[in-house]
Amino acid sequence: MIIRTFIATSFAALCATSALAQDFQPESPECIAPANPGGGWDFTCRQVGKTLQDLGLIPGTMQVVNMAGGSGGVAFAEVVNKRSDDQDLIVAASSATATRLAQGAFPGNTADDVRWLASVGADYGVIAVAADSEIDDLPELMEIIRNDPTSIAIGGGSAVGGWDHLKVLMAAQKAGVEDVRRVKYIAFEGGGEAVTQLLGGSLQAFTGDLSEAHGFMASGDIRVIALLAPERLEGEYADLPTAKEQGIDAVGANWRGFYVPGDTSDEAYDYWASAVSEMYASDEWQTVMQTNGLAPLDLQGDEFDAFVKSSITEIEDLSREIGIIR
Amino acid sequence: MDTLASLADGFAVALTWQNLSLALMGCLLGTIMGALPGLGPSNGVAILIPLAFSLGLGATPALILLTAVYYGAMYGGRISSILLNIPGDEPAMMTCLDGYPMAQQGRAGEALALSGIASFVGSFFATWGLVLLAPQLVKVALLFGPAEYFALFTLAFATLGGIASTNQAKAAFAAALGLGLAMIGVDAQTGVTRFTFGEVHLYDGIDFLVAIVGLFALSEVFVFLEHRSTDADGDTGKKMEIGKLYPSWSMIKSCIPTMGRTTILGFLAGVLPGAGASLGSFIAYSSEKRICDRDGTFGKGDPRGVAAPETGNNAAAGGALVPMLALGVPGSGTTAVLLAVLLSLNITPGPLLFTQNPDVVWGLIAALFIGNFMLLALNIPMVGLFTRVLLVPPRILMPVVAMISFVGIYGISGSSFDLMVMVAFGVLGWVLRKLEVPLVPVILGTLLGNAMEANLRRAVSISNGDWFTLADSWLSIGIWLVAIVGFILPIFLGRVFRKKMDDEYEKELSD
Amino acid sequence: MSDRILGGVGLTLAIFFAWSTTLIQESFMTDVVGPKAFPLIIAAVLGAASLVFLFRPDPAPLWPPLNRLAEVGFAVLVCFLYAKVLPELGFIISTTLAAGYLTWRLGTRPLQSVVVGVATAVGIYIVFRVILGLSLATGPFGF
Repeated sequence: MIIRTFIATSFAALCATSALAQDFQPESPECIAPANPGGGWDFTCRQVGKTLQDLGLIPGTMQVVNMAGGSGGVAFAEVVNKRSDDQDLIVAASSATATRLAQGAFPGNTADDVRWLASVGADYGVIAVAADSEIDDLPELMEIIRNDPTSIAIGGGSAVGGWDHLKVLMAAQKAGVEDVRRVKYIAFEGGGEAVTQLLGGSLQAFTGDLSEAHGFMASGDIRVIALLAPERLEGEYADLPTAKEQGIDAVGANWRGFYVPGDTSDEAYDYWASAVSEMYASDEWQTVMQTNGLAPLDLQGDEFDAFVKSSITEIEDLSREIGIIR
Repeated sequence: MDTLASLADGFAVALTWQNLSLALMGCLLGTIMGALPGLGPSNGVAILIPLAFSLGLGATPALILLTAVYYGAMYGGRISSILLNIPGDEPAMMTCLDGYPMAQQGRAGEALALSGIASFVGSFFATWGLVLLAPQLVKVALLFGPAEYFALFTLAFATLGGIASTNQAKAAFAAALGLGLAMIGVDAQTGVTRFTFGEVHLYDGIDFLVAIVGLFALSEVFVFLEHRSTDADGDTGKKMEIGKLYPSWSMIKSCIPTMGRTTILGFLAGVLPGAGASLGSFIAYSSEKRICDRDGTFGKGDPRGVAAPETGNNAAAGGALVPMLALGVPGSGTTAVLLAVLLSLNITPGPLLFTQNPDVVWGLIAALFIGNFMLLALNIPMVGLFTRVLLVPPRILMPVVAMISFVGIYGISGSSFDLMVMVAFGVLGWVLRKLEVPLVPVILGTLLGNAMEANLRRAVSISNGDWFTLADSWLSIGIWLVAIVGFILPIFLGRVFRKKMDDEYEKELSD
Repeated sequence: MSDRILGGVGLTLAIFFAWSTTLIQESFMTDVVGPKAFPLIIAAVLGAASLVFLFRPDPAPLWPPLNRLAEVGFAVLVCFLYAKVLPELGFIISTTLAAGYLTWRLGTRPLQSVVVGVATAVGIYIVFRVILGLSLATGPFGF
């Protein structure tokens, strides 16, 4: 792209002086979005890439490469097998990646094959009903499910056993539903599609992320009966009741972040971690989080690595308990 | 009147020199990307996102650029369909059926100009539909639950019988083949892998772009190799004439009723999330064939067969913006990408978009109108230029087409596994062509297979295993009736029925 | 005859498809319909259509003579090789070779084919890499 290259070069010249005082500089920063354009991972790559560039934290433009396949498995395998020493590369990931790893859906790969870099925010889970629904709160919904699981169809944007499904099962388990496997979950291509079916009356409840629900919530089409966060959020979401305060201790956060190849040098790892950290602290990123319903989750480096690994263990235990994996 | 005032504001936003030149650039790039096999509107838009970002464009200019690319690609897809018998993108598949025969008869210019006009009509009225009817249409989209979607997809397959009139069994075979290919990959409902044989690359299934480029473009190259005459010059026997560049007024006039009907059909197909532009052009073509193909000229270069799918797919492109803007639910691959762009510009499409960001919405709609007129103004004079492609000898043109197909796929996915799958599809396409198995149902199957199955399973799951739920609302019953009475019964009653109609028709003529 | 073979192949395919459907590992949790029902319906349609070909075949198409068939076969082989070597040799070199070969086999003189091959490769590179900014395969020389 002629224009792009021109701008990128002039940008790089401008930024060279303001660059971080570190030994490592990526030559051509690249972000792999392990899905086709349009999804959450693609958003993470493009939005972070753009903000990093706007703030002059990376030289030039972040090149976003879409590598779809196997719910992230193709990109994971590529990074592990072919590009394990690429220092210029970061890869978008989220709770979905952790869920897949926990359920052993990336054959031959584990979370230890890469280095987990940093998070850029979290998206708390919600359980919602249509605005005109007779169900008032989460315990009431769970009561109906306990009595007759076939009467409530809950839709979400992930496959059976995926993150959206796990959230509702977690809540059901905490609410004392005996055989959670009988909860009727209907899988959709994305949260938006599921909300549409909720409004159309095919579904009785919706499980998803706050960012998927907030537009419909603000317009008054749907009513969030439970936020799966440890405590209430601030600002415009302050009046959303958490599941915890309703006596059902379920917390589910869909984090978004990055990993880097396993053989990334410590210099490069530190460079990327501090670049993302600085970006996270910026006003620009705070605005992005605000408008997209992202909650704070500010973890970098070893802290984030530990966080991901413990969440994988958690999901593994839960999946085994529910009976999704053996 | 509020609407018109807002629209006027929108034009005020859109009509700056910067925005106009962005729209022009988008239209040009979009047309090129639409015409190149392997690069469709969704990829086209995705490719240009970094450009929009690195130019530092604001929300409205960025959207103007990208929607111009979107509309441009919808126009551009027809060019290679008509000239080369290779659809530039998936919605343009149906345009091959009559467009290429017209080109072979030396009427490429007419077909291109006519389809340009049809595209304009479709998207022009669809944009008006978006302006005036968006809130009401959202309610239509909400009427479609899983059972209704399943009925709709079945209807699409039922209409296949009408398209491949020669041998219904072959159409059914091809459709089943496509549906079977769609089953490959991770099952979106339960997460188990199906028919992947342990190959990670197959987990996400077979990309229909790979299938379409392989089946149409590569197999065309193999057909050429097979028929290459052995004379010294090496040019293949059939030389195409260019003929007249512009259609006569009477030809356009004969297509007006077709354009009217298909605008409505295509627009409605676009409004339904999950149906999209391909279904729009498909249903537009097959219903027109059913309605006005009395002499069996469809498929042999009937201008109405060119106008119908082009009006349909461009109308659907406009319609697909309704659920994207008003519900935040993408109706097609391209609107999914546009949705991502909106999100990364900190604009959340959804029920509040029209009240929260009126400048963005109306600026965008104004840009659609502007882009549309630009595309018409670009496309009609350039017909002469496009037809020059036919002057390039096939021995040079065909390898170029093959290489562009490879690059289009590789540039997006970066996977040489995809390229090999594509070559395999090329061979399959060549064999199927030899055996006169139609290729369109294969593509339709790969395009719709997953959505069809998902909705079937959702519907039956919601009703706790009761299969009768599939015909449990007046809407789904209506769709089933159209499918059975309009398309399935005629196949079986066909011979008797058609003969009778022909007799009556002749009688009318002789009277 | 060709249609009968197609029918036979189609029937085999349908049976194979149905058989591999039964091999699908169902997880503990599944929806009411499950991942097997729809593929089985497809297999049934595929099989039924194939039976029609077996019993009511269309007249056979004109198959090309053996040397033409070999020509097509070689072209397929070249396409496969192209897909294989593209990531190694880079875009320009492999495309020059493949486009040159196809042009030559379609009846262009050898020298001219080389020119066409180079022109095709460079032309596409300019359009896709420089103007559209797609990432094409990079070979040992960076293009």
